Amino acid sequence: MSVGRVAVTRGVLLRLREQLEFTKRGKELLEMKRDNLAAETNRLLAKINARHEFEQRLMETYSALRTAYMTLGYSRLQSQASTVIPLEAKVRLRSVMGVLVPEIVRGKESTINSVIDPSAYAAAQQMTESLGKLLTIAEAEARIESIAQELMLTNRKVNALERVILPGLMETLRYIEGRLEEETLEEFFRAKRVKAVIRGTK
Amino acid sequence: MGRGASVYLVTRTHGLRTHLITLRDMQNLARAKNLRDVSDSLLKTDYAIELGQLPTHEQDAATLENVILRKLVERFFFVRRSAAQGKMQDILTRYCARFEVENIKRVIRAKHGGQTAEESNLIPLEREHTLVNFPALLKAKDVDEVGSLLRDTQYHSILSKLQPYKESGTTLILEAALDKIYFSRIWELVDKIHGTRNLIGEEIDLRNLLTLFSLKTRGVSPRLIEDATIPISYALPKTTLQSLIQSRIEEAPILLRGGYSKLASEAASLLKAGSSLLLERVFFRYLYGDASAALMTHPLQAEYVIAYILLCEAEAKNLVSIVTGKQLNLSEEEISNGLFGV
Repeated sequence: MSVGRVAVTRGVLLRLREQLEFTKRGKELLEMKRDNLAAETNRLLAKINARHEFEQRLMETYSALRTAYMTLGYSRLQSQASTVIPLEAKVRLRSVMGVLVPEIVRGKESTINSVIDPSAYAAAQQMTESLGKLLTIAEAEARIESIAQELMLTNRKVNALERVILPGLMETLRYIEGRLEEETLEEFFRAKRVKAVIRGTK
Repeated sequence: MGRGASVYLVTRTHGLRTHLITLRDMQNLARAKNLRDVSDSLLKTDYAIELGQLPTHEQDAATLENVILRKLVERFFFVRRSAAQGKMQDILTRYCARFEVENIKRVIRAKHGGQTAEESNLIPLEREHTLVNFPALLKAKDVDEVGSLLRDTQYHSILSKLQPYKESGTTLILEAALDKIYFSRIWELVDKIHGTRNLIGEEIDLRNLLTLFSLKTRGVSPRLIEDATIPISYALPKTTLQSLIQSRIEEAPILLRGGYSKLASEAASLLKAGSSLLLERVFFRYLYGDASAALMTHPLQAEYVIAYILLCEAEAKNLVSIVTGKQLNLSEEEISNGLFGV
């Protein structure tokens, strides 16, 4: 808001004071949102930190699967794999401080009790465990991505309010208050002068 | 089996044995640069005709595995055809039913998992070698229908296992029932043909031990383990098997005797190290090792024929390991470690 273009009236002053109060409350709310999002990010980061360990585990799982392939061959392993009842999972959206984040809802766990060959069972077991961890990490990563974007946006808004809008409003308010005070003094002085002139002519 | 027929079969098998790929050649195959090189090397062996019909661009581990299995089936049935009519041919016919049994298992597994079973998922078995109507089995809606389609075959007793299968929710019950039928039919004849008992009996014992070790690691109930074992004992007495089912894996080497004790000790240490992946190899290496030894110790008996058949199976497994290993870019060491000494 350019200070020079503002109409210097009491009405504008009152409106600006209301606007300032509103903006301060908005800033507080945005700060709260930012803090909550940051806390959620920190919580998710702990889950994502397990990714490195998970990647190593996944390598071991693939190695087990390769050994099973080598021991049984494609057709036998494929046959063993056909008995596996796959894991059921759905992705739905959930709101965290107004940010839509994906949530993985797990249904029936996968069943591998009909996998009989020991090498196939060992690979299936590792694969099932890895899949569970993979879902947790994928959910955390997708969430953190949405939250990080919102966090950046909120931070910008807070910064804009803190460094541009609020100082601007306060400056305008100070300008109007100053001008109004000057006008009051001028009025007072003018009234005194008028009174003196009237008294002098009498 | 008459003396002449027996001599003919054993002599014929001696000739066939020379066609088997030796361990040294297997290791050379494991050293090959890629799958193409393996395939080229196999052109100098019994697999040449089948491989020659396979276009180069279609050659991958799955198609090569199909060729290997086709040859394995052909070898089994060639030996059966070479045996004169009688008890020996009967036992070989029953022995060759393992492909049929494996294919039934594959159909059951697919139906259990709600998957579509296709002929390409089965071991290539000619129509003349089976009395089971596989095209109908493949089209079956579920495991129940598979069971009812087996009503008029030698596997009819599987029908009584459908209810326990549904209650347990695992195909283990049905697969064990099929194994019991398969081995019981062979075991009926072993005493009638001198020299067939040892390797067949050993295979049953080892399968029981493998099932026991594998299921105990998974925490399966003793009752289910008992159901999953083949109720035939050779060198592994039923009472010992019962005690093994009830005891901990670590106690197995103490409860077992001789070679089985060493084997159990090796298996237990593998499981302790968390390497259940290699369990199967340990047991089959023992069986194929004894089959190799039988070629030397019983060169003039029916045992030689059974040993040859087992070694054909070992060769097929070795080749499948090599082609799969090459396709997956596994190192020579990894592939060689998985080979059975033939």
